[in-house]
Amino acid sequence: MEEKILKKEDIAKLYEELSKDYNFYAPVKEKGTIAFKKVSDPSEIELTYYNTKVPPKEVIFPQIETLFEYKLKGGDIEIEEPKNLDVKNLIFGIRPCDAYSFKLLENFFGFGEFKDDLFLKRKENTTLIGIACNSPKQSCFCTSVGGHPHKKEDVDVILVDLEDKYLVESISDKGRDLVKKISWLSDASESDVKQAQELSKKAEESIKTKVNVKDIEKLLDPNFEHPIWEEISATCLGCGTCTFLCPTCTCFDVVDENDKYNNRGRRVRIWDTCQFYLYTLHTSGHNPRDSSIERCRNRIMHKFCYYPENYNLLGCVGCGRCVQLCPVNNDIRSIINKINEIEKEEKISIA
Amino acid sequence: MPNPYVPMLSTIKDVVTENDVDDIKTIELVFKKEEDYKKFNYIPGQFAELSVIGKGECPIGMASSPTEEGSIKFTIKKMGTVTSTIHKSKVGDIIGIRGPLGNGWPIEEMKGKNIVIIGGGFAFSTLRSLTIYMLDEKYRKDFGEIIVIYGNRNSCEVLYEDDLYKWDKRDDINVVLTIDREEECWIREVGFVADVVKKVKPSPDNAIAIVCGPPIMIKTTIATLEELNFKDEQILNSLEMRMKCGIGKCGRCNIGNKFVCIDGPVFSLVELRKMPKEY
Repeated sequence: MEEKILKKEDIAKLYEELSKDYNFYAPVKEKGTIAFKKVSDPSEIELTYYNTKVPPKEVIFPQIETLFEYKLKGGDIEIEEPKNLDVKNLIFGIRPCDAYSFKLLENFFGFGEFKDDLFLKRKENTTLIGIACNSPKQSCFCTSVGGHPHKKEDVDVILVDLEDKYLVESISDKGRDLVKKISWLSDASESDVKQAQELSKKAEESIKTKVNVKDIEKLLDPNFEHPIWEEISATCLGCGTCTFLCPTCTCFDVVDENDKYNNRGRRVRIWDTCQFYLYTLHTSGHNPRDSSIERCRNRIMHKFCYYPENYNLLGCVGCGRCVQLCPVNNDIRSIINKINEIEKEEKISIA
Repeated sequence: MPNPYVPMLSTIKDVVTENDVDDIKTIELVFKKEEDYKKFNYIPGQFAELSVIGKGECPIGMASSPTEEGSIKFTIKKMGTVTSTIHKSKVGDIIGIRGPLGNGWPIEEMKGKNIVIIGGGFAFSTLRSLTIYMLDEKYRKDFGEIIVIYGNRNSCEVLYEDDLYKWDKRDDINVVLTIDREEECWIREVGFVADVVKKVKPSPDNAIAIVCGPPIMIKTTIATLEELNFKDEQILNSLEMRMKCGIGKCGRCNIGNKFVCIDGPVFSLVELRKMPKEY
């Protein structure tokens, strides 16, 4: 049997072995919530969690990231490029939706004439050990956007929680090499595999919300100026939580940070959001997205219209963070459903 | 693939103050490394991200033409932190350059055509680049008639007076200058750009019109060109948008599914009509 078994009591052993070669990231408790952090003590690893508040994209696309450092020497300038890109990272416990978001991010940063080497190198040097979701949350809707709580394709190794142990299945070549190295894993039995399949089915069935995204870009494109956007944005506070905590959002600002006492500094990129007024404000004072109507619309259009048009993919993985964490309960699922309603109404009016 | 966010370094060779108010300057930059200059193959209409290390970056269109070898020029209005710092800079100071960026004017499609250049105010910089390029002895034969209509609020705001003087003396380019209100000693046209275009009446036959300027000028000029039977595919614009990265990653310059930094800044009116009105 190719599948292996990892006993939960052996997680510490797994950590000791893998942390020699990798920066070992795993869900840990932090400030009353769960976050992916570099683990220094295996007892910190939290195994009973739904998902983290901040998506694990911060491991490969950090909230603040150095683009380069500079030293001012007399009238001259010396530039140093970031050196830490070759560090090997391992993310233990990533959920299938977030692993899928890594694929979208890789596609975006690698798209076009200019490749974002900083991101692509980090991605290449990162190994993903996913844990399938046995009990999705109410806010989850991965099955509507091409995902599945037990989706395996986007991780290197997938684990399925079988109460006191994990079923281990290697997916990619990287994953196979890794599992081969952990020689002490025992073989799985047929009943273990069967149990995992049942859990997968149960998890899928437990996701009750369905969002119809079929040809959604064709619906959104002609309705750019529909009054529905006013309704959708009416309660939005513009806090940007939906985008800052979105695993597929990539927008950033670029800022120079100076250490003025030492004549040096660094240029960094920092997560930014299309939900902020300043994001698009021209120096002239003109702002193409000057009210929350345009800004809320841009978020939906970007994920469900521009993304499919440009990359033939949806820009959403259905993790539900924006649904769960929005302070005014703006629910992306009901927004999409409302947009689907537009068409029905119009068909009726045409008939 | 090298880190696309690291600028090449250049030094300021010359600074020219372009207007009486002293808020527009043209800086001439020379790359510190010869190999960086060789890599910087640009066409008129493209832009670069200029860096003042320690302050930040801003996107500025090239005002020089690739035919003016050895250096690159940028015309910069004093607006924010970076441009104000550049305005305070002296010859010999270091400026970072990332580029060339953006698509630029579609030179190949413009070959064999009559070119009508219509510029308003400070937006004339990449039009200067284009005009110098087309007038170069190597390329002049590739283009038909060239008309330049260039308007300003007043005579103190007219950029590139040396170039305009040289172009005036040539018989293979028609330069029409206008200012909004009459002034003593001004012997050229008076009136808004759109009205002057109506008066000059460029023919749409085998022509391409390039319109750059403030939004109101673009709007009125396009209406005039349509009256003169110019079709959407014969009208080109260059758009401005807030930018950070210039390479299609930071996200903010999108109009619909297009990024102004990589899909533009030059768009034909056909393309603009298909895009949402969010610019």
